[in-house]
Amino acid sequence: MIQKIRHPRPRDLKFLGLVAVTGLTIVLYLDTGLRLAGETGSGWRKLDLDALKQKIESGELREREAEWYHPATGEETRGAGGTIP
Amino acid sequence: MSAVTCELCPRACVIPEGGAGDCRIRVNLGGKLRATTYGRPSAIHIDPMEKKPLYHFHPGAPVFSIATAGCNLHCLNCQNWQLSQRGGEEMEQVYRADPPDLVKAAKEEGCKALAYTYSDPIVFYEYVYDSGELAHREGMYNVFVTAGYINRKPLRRLCKVLDASNVDIKAFDDGFYRRVNGGTLQPVLDGLVTMREEGVWIEVTNLLIPTLNDDLAMIRKMARWVRDELGEGTPMHFSRFHPEYRMRNLPPTPGRTLDRARKEAMDAGLQFVYVGNVMGHEGGSTYCPRDGTLLIGRAGFWITENNLTADGRCPTCNEKIPGVWT
Repeated sequence: MIQKIRHPRPRDLKFLGLVAVTGLTIVLYLDTGLRLAGETGSGWRKLDLDALKQKIESGELREREAEWYHPATGEETRGAGGTIP
Repeated sequence: MSAVTCELCPRACVIPEGGAGDCRIRVNLGGKLRATTYGRPSAIHIDPMEKKPLYHFHPGAPVFSIATAGCNLHCLNCQNWQLSQRGGEEMEQVYRADPPDLVKAAKEEGCKALAYTYSDPIVFYEYVYDSGELAHREGMYNVFVTAGYINRKPLRRLCKVLDASNVDIKAFDDGFYRRVNGGTLQPVLDGLVTMREEGVWIEVTNLLIPTLNDDLAMIRKMARWVRDELGEGTPMHFSRFHPEYRMRNLPPTPGRTLDRARKEAMDAGLQFVYVGNVMGHEGGSTYCPRDGTLLIGRAGFWITENNLTADGRCPTCNEKIPGVWT
């Protein structure tokens, strides 16, 4: 049986590199998404705290105490998936 | 770290220090929950009352309408997502408008009502309450346009300052609420009953989305619930869906679907059933339930004729028409 002898060429290596980088990007994207979904699925959201504080300092947002809340009990906190590191 | 539990809506978010509730604007800072958009609306407009929509409450009156960022639902078809699905720190435009500024501006513009609308005003509860209280002292009305996803206790207190509300029942199906809105149905129904008990004038809206919530059997069930729990004179608005946000894959609601829904609700015993978001539809006008006389003619949000008597009766048969007319 006749077989074609094929030598890897630089463009093949570039292509493989591109495939690897694309794969890695997809994995990182999915991983980040899943981690964020895990954090926000427990009834609270992360926010840009620095931006918020800056806007409060400039008067664009407020620090008025809200009504209708209570300090979380131990049981509630355990169910909420912990605190922001 | 001192987490707090928000009691405002059925989500009961447990919020760690430095975090926000699911609504994005109620933030735990230093172990205390903060209403970060209090007095800082991102949308201010003067609308006709019909835009809320409220068809049986001071027809044609201009309403000073405001909203801040944030919402406690996450509807895939949201039409105000640039406002509702963002936190205050993400907004490019914020107005400084504490309750006294708001009431003063509304009066200067000739508005006799404030509307808390566009996003869901439940999430800026404290701002609504304080503005509402002040507006009442100045002889103005308060209008609340909401999806009604709120706990009964805070709602009952808020009702003290509310005069009218349009409540959006997204669908008479809990599964739909979970899939499309990120909420549940029962608290909305409980909220409507609470508003009725507290004497708030209620109108109900249902946005009909092709294939998702346009089933006639479900519409019949919803209409019967409204008739039995809120009264046959409760106005019901079926609105046309337009593809928006994360639901651009579905077409606008066909006119015949809106017509069928209207007929179904009227057959179920509701006296005032309207079709919304359709210019020039006969279902946009108010007719006497007894003799069919045209009482208020509308083209879109605009009133073309108003034949109601001064005390809100049919000029032909003298039937008293439910509503707050003067």
